[in-house]
Amino acid sequence: MIGEFDIYGVLFPPLLIWVFMALLLSMAVRRGLSALGLYRFIWHRPLFDLCLLVMLTGLISLAANRYF
Amino acid sequence: MKPISFIYRFIVTLGAVILAGVVAWQLWIYYMESPWTRDGRVRADIVSLAPDVSGPIVQVFVHDNQFVHTGEALFQIDPARFNLALAQANAALAQASAAEAKAHATMLNAEQNAARYAALSSNATSAISRDDASTQSLAAKAEYSAAQAAYAAAQVDLGVAQLNLRRTTARATVNGVITNFSMQPGDYVGAGSAIMAIVDTDSLYVDGYFEETKLRHIKVGDKATVQLLQGGPQIDGHVQGFAAAIADSERIAAPTLLADVNPTFTWVRLAARIPVRIALDKIPAGVNLVAGMTCTVTILPEKN
Repeated sequence: MIGEFDIYGVLFPPLLIWVFMALLLSMAVRRGLSALGLYRFIWHRPLFDLCLLVMLTGLISLAANRYF
Repeated sequence: MKPISFIYRFIVTLGAVILAGVVAWQLWIYYMESPWTRDGRVRADIVSLAPDVSGPIVQVFVHDNQFVHTGEALFQIDPARFNLALAQANAALAQASAAEAKAHATMLNAEQNAARYAALSSNATSAISRDDASTQSLAAKAEYSAAQAAYAAAQVDLGVAQLNLRRTTARATVNGVITNFSMQPGDYVGAGSAIMAIVDTDSLYVDGYFEETKLRHIKVGDKATVQLLQGGPQIDGHVQGFAAAIADSERIAAPTLLADVNPTFTWVRLAARIPVRIALDKIPAGVNLVAGMTCTVTILPEKN
């Protein structure tokens, strides 16, 4: 979707919202990975976390463009 | 739990970096390269209607925000003065007609006289009298022509008086909506000064203000979709044309004849916005377009 988000009169570009959603989602995913001990397979944890955020943003944006 | 070897951990992380790079690149192309803009405006041609004659308003037939059709009466200027002018023009025409008849009679008489003198022998009349009669005949003919011309002029004056009377009723020139309109009987309107705006609803279109960097991806005839800020269905359209010029903000209008170019040049700067005109193919039912609304314009990629 290319449009606007209207939050109480202030309009936001959708990408900003997708990044914010991806941030929340990545927090949950990070917690999950940590609990399962999957960070054993990761060399550089902050770098991986950044990549995770970018990928989730892309995923959400793709889903939004496809289904809305 | 035995530790995983460094090489596996490195490969997994590298895979994530590559994947994220590809995703970031795609996002960049989608949001930055593809021709779309959030800066679109619904626009329409506005008729600034001015009365053709001056006078006080006696009747207003329409109200604010009313839809009017071409030819519909909008308001009536007091016709009394123009009725009088018409009567005067009619009288002037009758006068001119009488003057013409008189000149015709004079001409006939002068011609008869001249013919009689011409028929008389040289013993009965002098050459002077004969020439006088012939000159009078020519002069009477010229006067008759002048009277005919005066009659034609009076006819034209009558036409002008009729036209002025007709023009006391102002009519809509387009199908559209009257907007920001306030008029009461008794208001005095002057010929030529605009007093009401009619938004031509047949002319609704969208101007997308595209960054100049995206302009090379857009061609005349490309399909486009318009999404209004208020939501609702997408409106299909196509690119009708580009603005040929925009104002140069780096150049100041100088009092001399020479160019005055702003010497400050910003390091971080923004692309100029070029209006791209989008013709709307079909406005979906229930969508009420208001000129000035904001919309997002997306140019659809060509299907080869």
